[in-house]
Amino acid sequence: MGKTVLIVDDSASLRQVVSIALKGAGYDVLEGCDGKDALTKLEGQKVHLIISDVNMPNMDGISFVKEVKKLPNYKFTPIIMLTTESQEAKKQEGQAAGAKAWVVKPFKPEQMLTAVSKLILP
Amino acid sequence: MDLDPAVQTFAAESRELLGNMEEALLRLEADSGEKDDINAVFRAAHTIKGSAGLFGFDGIVSFTHKVEHLLDRLRDGAMGLDADCVALLLACCDHIGALIEDAVSGRPLSAELAATWRVLHEKLEGYLGPSAKPQPQAGASEAAPLPAGQPQEPNSAAADWHISLRFGREVLRNGMDPLAFLRYLATVGDIVHLTTITDALPHAEEMDPEACYLGFEISLKSQADKAAIESVFEFVREDCAIRILPPRSKLSEYIALIEELPENTMRLGDILVKSGALTQAELDRSLRQQTAEAAQAPASVADGAPPRPLGEILVQEGRVAQSVVHAALDKQQQVREHKAQENRFIRVEADKLDQLINLVGELVIAGAGTHLLAQRAGLGDVLESASTLSRLLEEVRNNALGLRMVQIGATFQKFQRVVRDVSRDLGKDIELVITGGDTELDKSVVEQIGDPLMHLVRNAMDHGIEPHDVRLAAGKPARARLMLHAYHDSGSIVIEVSDDGGGLKRDKILKKARERGLVGEGQSLTDAEVHRLIFEPGFSTADQVSNLSGRGVGMDVVKRNIEALRGTVELTSRESVGTTVRIRLPLTLAIIDGFLVGVGPARYVIPLEMVLECVELSPAERQACMGEGYVNLRGQVLPYLRVRALFDLQGQAGSRESIVVVQYGGRKIGLVVDTLHGEFQTVIKPLGPLFRRLRGFSGFTILGTGEVALILDVPGLIQTVATKDAHGGSSAAHAVAASAGVGSDAA
Repeated sequence: MGKTVLIVDDSASLRQVVSIALKGAGYDVLEGCDGKDALTKLEGQKVHLIISDVNMPNMDGISFVKEVKKLPNYKFTPIIMLTTESQEAKKQEGQAAGAKAWVVKPFKPEQMLTAVSKLILP
Repeated sequence: MDLDPAVQTFAAESRELLGNMEEALLRLEADSGEKDDINAVFRAAHTIKGSAGLFGFDGIVSFTHKVEHLLDRLRDGAMGLDADCVALLLACCDHIGALIEDAVSGRPLSAELAATWRVLHEKLEGYLGPSAKPQPQAGASEAAPLPAGQPQEPNSAAADWHISLRFGREVLRNGMDPLAFLRYLATVGDIVHLTTITDALPHAEEMDPEACYLGFEISLKSQADKAAIESVFEFVREDCAIRILPPRSKLSEYIALIEELPENTMRLGDILVKSGALTQAELDRSLRQQTAEAAQAPASVADGAPPRPLGEILVQEGRVAQSVVHAALDKQQQVREHKAQENRFIRVEADKLDQLINLVGELVIAGAGTHLLAQRAGLGDVLESASTLSRLLEEVRNNALGLRMVQIGATFQKFQRVVRDVSRDLGKDIELVITGGDTELDKSVVEQIGDPLMHLVRNAMDHGIEPHDVRLAAGKPARARLMLHAYHDSGSIVIEVSDDGGGLKRDKILKKARERGLVGEGQSLTDAEVHRLIFEPGFSTADQVSNLSGRGVGMDVVKRNIEALRGTVELTSRESVGTTVRIRLPLTLAIIDGFLVGVGPARYVIPLEMVLECVELSPAERQACMGEGYVNLRGQVLPYLRVRALFDLQGQAGSRESIVVVQYGGRKIGLVVDTLHGEFQTVIKPLGPLFRRLRGFSGFTILGTGEVALILDVPGLIQTVATKDAHGGSSAAHAVAASAGVGSDAA
């Protein structure tokens, strides 16, 4: 049974590419289209790593991270934030909320794979 | 990885987002829009950019980035939204749509789109103002707790990296598993040895089960550089104390790299980062510490007292070895000294130096004469002392020539300012990198090389280096590099001017050349031949004439100036990779390497750099032609001149004659002589005013025997043959036809 990664982003194509890349490396992947949706995906599942965008409709990335940190099962789950280089303030905010890892958008699938494998192995 | 289905999703999703973007923009224009609408537009652009990057559509990324930047400022209220701005954004919206359709269908960027791109880009720049890039904030991060005591000395083998890790208390709560990093580290290299440090572990009753108290000392065998190893711990760097000590063998590598860095003024930190001994993150951290220390110091001390030197902090923190810091400081000192050195020169009138060199030249000749006399008279003692004398004379001559030598660095340094000013005028970001500034060459050459170099540098900046957006679209770094490089190569000095720009457009040059009739319709040329075309007089492929260059007086003038210095210029270029112009110059104008030949009793010198080869003139050809003619040289027509006939020398030719094949400016001819005496160094003496009008000679020299040898003016002789060819070109065809049986494949 491989490790499960949850990718949260409002872009379906981004989710799809990340998912293809991670599945190719042996991870299981769940997708969520925004913070609210992602929280429902976490219920009753064991997710080992979460990748989340910052800018999303309904519930943005920062609020989502704060919510995740409140869930007892996900207290120690690593979270990778997707930021852009112009969003230094958002990055700081995300780190304060508990998402210590980040990947700068736009990124290549290999970069995402490297970041993920630093945190968990499949 | 098959991304095809995802690309389709991307196209559909982008269409939808662009639709939303358009609607929101229209609402904004109708004044009924709200803050949410700007956010929606921003988010759409942002999402498209993020996804496009994932598929490697870099063109879309760079354009959308600009749009996003404008939106960012609108969102922050830094700018008001007016009708023009909405119109521009709508146009951008359409453009992004067009770009995506193109990218998804795999077509290259069409000319039409590229034109729209430029127009929109300019308008966006107009709103944003030049270089409106936000400065990344360093951010307030508390310094990580440093572990007590120095890390253990790396006592493992010299070839291993040593990594000291002390994880922060919070790492587990932050979702970071120390073991995961160690496992990932194993993909960068082999972990030879690992010691777990549990000093920080408290008593059981005080222990927080969610906190991390662990530290590790690791020996790692790896080929990776320091930055790569550090990046393993990227996500925990803020909370942890990490020291990465390079293997012993690495130290000498860093020091060697530091010594090879270009001679630009650099700060200590930059030098260390460039050599790889220090990573940028480590430097930032130490600099913050330096600032913090300065701020904390009591006012009495802080008054006027400089902050602790960076080098000291780095060494104490264990980030860089003492010896590497020393090497970097030495380098800094060396660069500074280079700059200050001009003041330590003694100014001497150039004429005095010329006189000295002339006299030394005479002395060399006289010395050789004495040597010869002693040899003839069989006086052993005198011969020995004459030998010593000539050896010393050689040294004196070399030293005297050395007096005229200056470093090219000063000439190169002038271009720093030129590059700065011109790149500002052109709106390009260009970095000048200078290497080999300590290469020496003759003062008179240095004086005359300035203009051609200026031409080449401006050409490279104006035509070679592409505009900012084109570079980004091509996936190149925005900051262009222009390199000036000098080095010695077998008796000559080579100066290279290279850029990482767009390179020469082969098709464009060929088209222009055909229009001007330089190249026939059906003729196919090699790359080198195409590149040579741009040295043709009046040749320019520039679409517009700018005030910097492009008026067509350029490369041919450069070529002429350099040839006047007895140098050569060649150009290599690869499309979209860059162009290098290589200038090869003699070290000095006063001395040349010559090839000595004899015709009857007379001696002639041919400049060695123009000699290609020597072949024997066959008896059949000797009879066929007396004055001049053509031979078949491996299937090629080679016109030749008989030196005996040319200068009307008395006497009969010996039993054998040789052809010396000489080349200049792409043309080859043969010179028929009686004997070959081999190469030797020659001091050139100009011909007196009485002989100024003589054709065929460029100067003379005096041989050791006291005889005078004339230096042949090869370019002039080739010109003579070329003029004759134009009048009676048919004889060439005869020569080849006659000897077609001999050559393997007649041209």
